[in-house]
Amino acid sequence: MAAMIETERLTKSYGGKRGIADVSFTVEEGEVFGFLGPNGAGKTTTIRLLMALLRADNGNARIAGLDCWRQSLEVKRLVGYVPGEPALDPNLSGGQILEYFAHLRGGVDHAYLKQLVDRFELDTSRKFRQYSTGNKRKVVLIQAFMHRPKVLILDEPTSGLDPLNQQEFDLMVKEARDQGRTVFLSSHILSEVEKTCSSVGIIRDGRLVRIGDVAEVKAIKRYEVVITFAAAVPVEAFRRLDGVVEAELLTHGHGVRLAMQGPADAVIKAAANYPVVALTSYEPSLEDIFLRYYEDSPPAREAHDVA
Amino acid sequence: MWLSSVFLKTLRDYRIPIVGWGIGMGLVVVSPMASVATLLTTPQAREQLVSLAATFAWNADVVAVDTIGGYATFKIGVFIFLTAVWPLLAASRMLRGEEDRGSLDLLLSLPRSRLAVALEKLAALWTALLAMGLLIGLLVFAGGRQFGGDFGFADALLFGVNLALVCAVIGGVALLISQFTQERGPAAGWTAGLLLIFIVLDMVRRVIPSGGWLSRLSPIYYYNLSKPLVPSYGASVGAMLFLLALAVVLSGAAVWLFARRDVGGTVPLPRWLRLPERPATRALPVGDWSLRSVYARSLGTIALPTLWWTLGIAGFAAWIVVAVQQMETRLPALLSGSPTVSHLIKNIGGGDASLNAGFLSAIFVLLPLFLMAFAVTQVNGWSADEQDGRLDLVLAAPQPRLTVLLGRFAAIASATVVVGLVTLLASAGAAAATGLTLDAGNLAAATLGMIPLGLLTAAIGYLASGWLRTAADTGLLSFLLLIWFFISFIGPELAWPEATLRLSPFYYYGTPLLNGLQLTSMLGIIAVAAVALSLGALRFVRKDIGV
Repeated sequence: MAAMIETERLTKSYGGKRGIADVSFTVEEGEVFGFLGPNGAGKTTTIRLLMALLRADNGNARIAGLDCWRQSLEVKRLVGYVPGEPALDPNLSGGQILEYFAHLRGGVDHAYLKQLVDRFELDTSRKFRQYSTGNKRKVVLIQAFMHRPKVLILDEPTSGLDPLNQQEFDLMVKEARDQGRTVFLSSHILSEVEKTCSSVGIIRDGRLVRIGDVAEVKAIKRYEVVITFAAAVPVEAFRRLDGVVEAELLTHGHGVRLAMQGPADAVIKAAANYPVVALTSYEPSLEDIFLRYYEDSPPAREAHDVA
Repeated sequence: MWLSSVFLKTLRDYRIPIVGWGIGMGLVVVSPMASVATLLTTPQAREQLVSLAATFAWNADVVAVDTIGGYATFKIGVFIFLTAVWPLLAASRMLRGEEDRGSLDLLLSLPRSRLAVALEKLAALWTALLAMGLLIGLLVFAGGRQFGGDFGFADALLFGVNLALVCAVIGGVALLISQFTQERGPAAGWTAGLLLIFIVLDMVRRVIPSGGWLSRLSPIYYYNLSKPLVPSYGASVGAMLFLLALAVVLSGAAVWLFARRDVGGTVPLPRWLRLPERPATRALPVGDWSLRSVYARSLGTIALPTLWWTLGIAGFAAWIVVAVQQMETRLPALLSGSPTVSHLIKNIGGGDASLNAGFLSAIFVLLPLFLMAFAVTQVNGWSADEQDGRLDLVLAAPQPRLTVLLGRFAAIASATVVVGLVTLLASAGAAAATGLTLDAGNLAAATLGMIPLGLLTAAIGYLASGWLRTAADTGLLSFLLLIWFFISFIGPELAWPEATLRLSPFYYYGTPLLNGLQLTSMLGIIAVAAVALSLGALRFVRKDIGV
């Protein structure tokens, strides 16, 4: 497979403020790449550099072998883009916005555009300012997909979408992948990336700290299990079990909170020795994962490829 | 400390306008004091000034205009519009603007009643207006001391307070209207329209003596009942109290409605006033011409503001033509014994003041000023679009940045041409209808000659937007416009050197109604505009968007 998106030591700062530094990665053609990171990590800066909305201080970015800045026009013909915070003329209706962008792009198949409108059940008669957050997101998603782009660059695309439309979006990404199109999806929702992406990059404080396939990221994913018992239990019974990273006793002494990584088999078997009242498992936010995983380690100078 | 309450936070937001607008408006009042001080040297000159003012009696009350304070009061007559711009913008933004942005939702989620939030914001707005009024009063007092005014400190402060009161009324109108509109823009637009009507209503009593009752419908009438800078006239406590009561009623009604309606919604209109609900559809507007390109979209966006500005500018031109025709027989007699007045008009108009065209020429030089103000509003739109991220998706489409910029600029250029052409047709029509004789070529030069000045303003704005954010860009352009205005309209009276006068584009516009188009000067303006636009384009194609 050929490289579709490539960045090499891509660097951008805003005056004295940090943007991104030395970000290098490659996304192969047909790949769905998740770009993960907490808020302010540099995801949007990277995407705006790919879209030639920003000019890199150093390094370069290429899409389909074309330089994102110098050949931006050719690049944009290949790309469908969803910005993180879609801002459009508030006085245009959804239909007018789609029609306008169809003209700006040229060559849009109106039958396909209509299909997308139907698929998202978008009322095209309402003005953009009258739309809910989710409907605004639908308009922007449709304009990104309407010309069947080779590359989709999506900055937190499902933010504000209801579960049904998120499902529809997941399906569209899957279809795009099946058709051999490349998707670059930025998100801070780990489960979304797990569901739709084949590989991921993790950015932190403007530097790419990890890049690899989804399974590798899952390996760093911790989750939390809270078990409540009918009587007091010794926390030591859980502390050294396989998969337990941290264990603490709940304040009333009748339960434990466990930070887990990996299978929960040992914990379940240990808990079975006591009268269990309730067992709850929480998936922590990516923020929590970052805080825990990286709290003691400074970001790597280079991305650590674990693939 | 400034973030400890809604009142203080809102007042903090107003700190720059308080200082900027206060000083700016103060200077607007003081500047005629400076110019008139040089004219009031002899009793004859005073007489001449009074007779000149009488010619413009439709504009403002002619009361003791041969004094520093009287002349300043007279001169700012129509400029009350300028003073009211900030309060109408601020009041329409106060609640509706925050609802637009969604920031009010969070504020209202705090354990604080809607009424308290609205009242604190209103109190901050009024405090800001009062602070501006006091600042204006201080500057006016200083101006009076400098140029020999005969009014005292209390009079100057009363003048500022009177201005603040009428601004509070206009703000109240905007706040009330904003309860019925989905966005702040229409509220500001409707209020500006009403303000124009108020100004015209106030003028009625000066033009048609029997129409005095109509003027009483305008808050401007009550503002004009007080002339604290004319000690012999003084301030009308009753009128000022009436303005205060009016401001309280209008703002109170707005706050009352706000406390009872949906946040983000509007006060429900009676059924017969409501637009019919659009049925939901999934159809696309395939044949819409305004969606075919950046240029067409830009044209569609500015069509409505262009219509209003065209009506305003062309209407003003036609009205002036009619007014001059009506004064045709009186004008030569009025000015024959006033060499200073004739000189004043000649300085601005460029010809013999006793001729209709000469007098008209002196007024027509305001037209390019209006067109340039229109250009400033359009530059503001361009800059705001970039700052608010509305250009991101357009630039993500395969459109060269240069095409996007030039498409937008071409739309402004088209709009200025429309304004120029309609103004030409309106004034030619008015002249033909009233039988006023004007040189057709010169009339075309005067109306179409303002187009390059509008383009120059827009081009400079586009250039500056490459570095400045929206507020700074608009502020810079407004400041330039103000400076150019003073150079060209006050400079000759103060006998400023030719080199200074040449710094203003109005100098190159000249007096086309009398002397025709100065082709070389116009080409020069166009060349400077082209250079500014080219540099602006160069910057835009290389810059980071939205940074």
